[in-house]
Amino acid sequence: MAREKIHVGLEIGTTKVCAVVAECHRDGEMRILGVGESPSRGVRKGEIVDFKNATQCVHDALADAEDRSDHEIKGVWLAISGSHIKSFNNRSSVTLPEESTITAKEIESVEFKAKEAGIPKEDVIIHSVIQRYYVDGQEGVIDPHGMMGTKLDADFHIIHGVTNRIQNAIRCVREFDIDVEDIVVNSVASAQVVLDEQQKQAGAVLIDIGGGVTDYIVYKDGAVCHSGVIAIGGDHITNDLCIGLRIPIARAEKLKIEEGSAITENISASDRITLKNDTGFSGRDIDRLMLNMIIKSRLEELFGILRKRIQEIVPEHLLGAGILLTGGCSLLRGIREAAESVFPGTPVYLAHAQSVSGPMSAFENPQLSTCIGAAKYAQAVHAEMPDESILDRVKGFFRGRF
Amino acid sequence: MITYPRWLDRGTGKEPVLRLLGIGNAGVNIADRIAIRASLPLETVALNSDQQSLNASVASRKTALGPMTTHGLGAGGDPEMALEAARESMSELRQSVEGADVVFLCAGLGGGTGSATTPQLAELARANGSLVIAVVTTPFQFEGRRRSQQAQEAMQGIARHADAIVHFENDRMAEITAPRTEAEETFAACDNILFQSVASLTRLISCPGPMAVAVPDLLGVLRSGGGAFLFGSGEADGGNRAHEALEQALRSPLLDRGRLLHDAKKVLVHLSGPRSLTFAEVAAIMQQISKNTAPSSLLHLGVSVARDDSAPLIVTLIGHCGTAAQVEAAAPIPAAEPVRATPPTLFAEEAIQSTPPPSTHAEPKTAAPKVKQENLPLEPIARGRFEKVEPTIVEGEDLDVPTFLRRKLKK
Repeated sequence: MAREKIHVGLEIGTTKVCAVVAECHRDGEMRILGVGESPSRGVRKGEIVDFKNATQCVHDALADAEDRSDHEIKGVWLAISGSHIKSFNNRSSVTLPEESTITAKEIESVEFKAKEAGIPKEDVIIHSVIQRYYVDGQEGVIDPHGMMGTKLDADFHIIHGVTNRIQNAIRCVREFDIDVEDIVVNSVASAQVVLDEQQKQAGAVLIDIGGGVTDYIVYKDGAVCHSGVIAIGGDHITNDLCIGLRIPIARAEKLKIEEGSAITENISASDRITLKNDTGFSGRDIDRLMLNMIIKSRLEELFGILRKRIQEIVPEHLLGAGILLTGGCSLLRGIREAAESVFPGTPVYLAHAQSVSGPMSAFENPQLSTCIGAAKYAQAVHAEMPDESILDRVKGFFRGRF
Repeated sequence: MITYPRWLDRGTGKEPVLRLLGIGNAGVNIADRIAIRASLPLETVALNSDQQSLNASVASRKTALGPMTTHGLGAGGDPEMALEAARESMSELRQSVEGADVVFLCAGLGGGTGSATTPQLAELARANGSLVIAVVTTPFQFEGRRRSQQAQEAMQGIARHADAIVHFENDRMAEITAPRTEAEETFAACDNILFQSVASLTRLISCPGPMAVAVPDLLGVLRSGGGAFLFGSGEADGGNRAHEALEQALRSPLLDRGRLLHDAKKVLVHLSGPRSLTFAEVAAIMQQISKNTAPSSLLHLGVSVARDDSAPLIVTLIGHCGTAAQVEAAAPIPAAEPVRATPPTLFAEEAIQSTPPPSTHAEPKTAAPKVKQENLPLEPIARGRFEKVEPTIVEGEDLDVPTFLRRKLKK
């Protein structure tokens, strides 16, 4: 194995397709060599709806990344999203013969058992993340390897998604003879670079609001305890503005980025924004209060749903590190305030990829969190166990099926 | 040689008596469900050795089995005891099947009362000249070998006498719902499927349509093998109804998304719809179904037309798959028998709407289970660019519709 391995993270997003080429050092350092981007077409709510167009965009993004990084891309780590991705927590246990030591075999079988939990037939397990082990009921065992015990229990967080939809995204990349080394769920990828170990221990929520979907992941005591996807994103805000203000989609998007905010306080009723006339669009005055109100109500609703889901799993006071917002939509003005109003008393931060080096414009851009995370995930997986990949399991699953 | 009862001749004008016997705890449950939900032309009789379950039952007739043997406490899953109870109440059993033209026997096999009494009832009913259809469930695998063995034995006993067995494996039924749903919901869904199949079979037998399926065809399909019972049904309205109804029917978990149809040797298809049902739609559906079935399989088609113009199009599929050629001891059906033709409607709702034309049977409209998508009522509101994408529905709200519109924040 080369001393410095290069991993490529790819995200086929709703607004853009981006690829990050990163050089991963053995000591865990990561340096971004280049970022390729292409505006996305044929993707809605994080899922491919127009295969041909999406494929073209993937091609453009990868070609761009190759140019910028001067590296020939052979394989990518693909970040996956979409409302079909669901998760749950599952405990499994194995009993050992009389007072023997726990070996890799037992650990493997306890994971295998956890994954036997029923998921719908058309689904495949994408991740099974260990939360904690119990040896003979003793809590908080981090690594049971080599311990004595008669019973090994383990809590796993299992993330699964619809096989065909995942396969579609993979096929999109395979069109150009580029290998998909493995897949990773958006939220898991983002958490790799946005959250540090301390935040995971203290308890944190990472909310990645993209164009089409919002991915979220909750950490408690250093382990994932909840994750999910809501198919709401920046596109929804644009659409709301388009309907509410009766302006074309393209204008709505521009207005959102240039003027939009989720703060409705201290705006005088006479504050108006003048839209210049454009081809096919005669100029108009827009009421700023109205604009911000539409944005705010959408965001508040989104955070409200998230809060409800998160509270079912973790009470808010256990989220020591608070809430971190990332993703393209986190650039929206006032989003932090909107989140704070829904999660009273919990600190809310805007976050981007940490602990990587390279061009500042790359890692400080919250739009790229997932993509950089996918590369980081690749590094983490390679560091742990270079052989087993989830994709092999997906492949195996298919082989077994047909 | 079986001879079909007279009622099957349409000439006599006498309405057939259909009776449903719920035997044992599980059977009584099903009987109750049917008694409550559907105003079918069905008499329900609850038979159990457990007095408590009888007391709670809403069946029109209740019969306690072996009051001396079990003291009304139930057989406790012991087949010996249940058999003893059945012997004690032989005359009650005989009474319960007397005078019925068609007898449905509903029971959960693997326990005591259901397993021991059902075969006996089948025999008695058959001796009376009734058409006997058993609707049974077999236990979950996790209930242990012993139970499944008891169920197996009971099945064999029933098969010897019943004209047909509709067999549901609980294991497969549990797959109907997503694995993460609550247990209660799963059981309810299982019950619902049982209910639907009984309700449809009832209508099928009692309500003929313009292009009907003969009872021998139905029995032929139900009996054509020992494997799994296939059942699927869907209904739809509007321009694309033919396609949608069929899709729904094929999506039935009991068909494994249409895959199991490939293995079925005989498939019964029943369509019912409003008058506006066109031949092209019928042809389109049949073509699609024949793509899903093996080329060698035999398709029976039945069509009925409802008087009601707003009736939806309903597609019902019944089949049997599996190789276990459990050629039952039941006598073969004489092909020559000019049996009254009956459209096989497997679906609760289907039957209802489809049936109006037939004779006196004013099938009362049942509150059939609506299989509609939940996002339909929200349609009129603007979804803008998300018009054609899969909607984001959280807690019943279509989140693609702007929040401010839903909350009426608009000034």
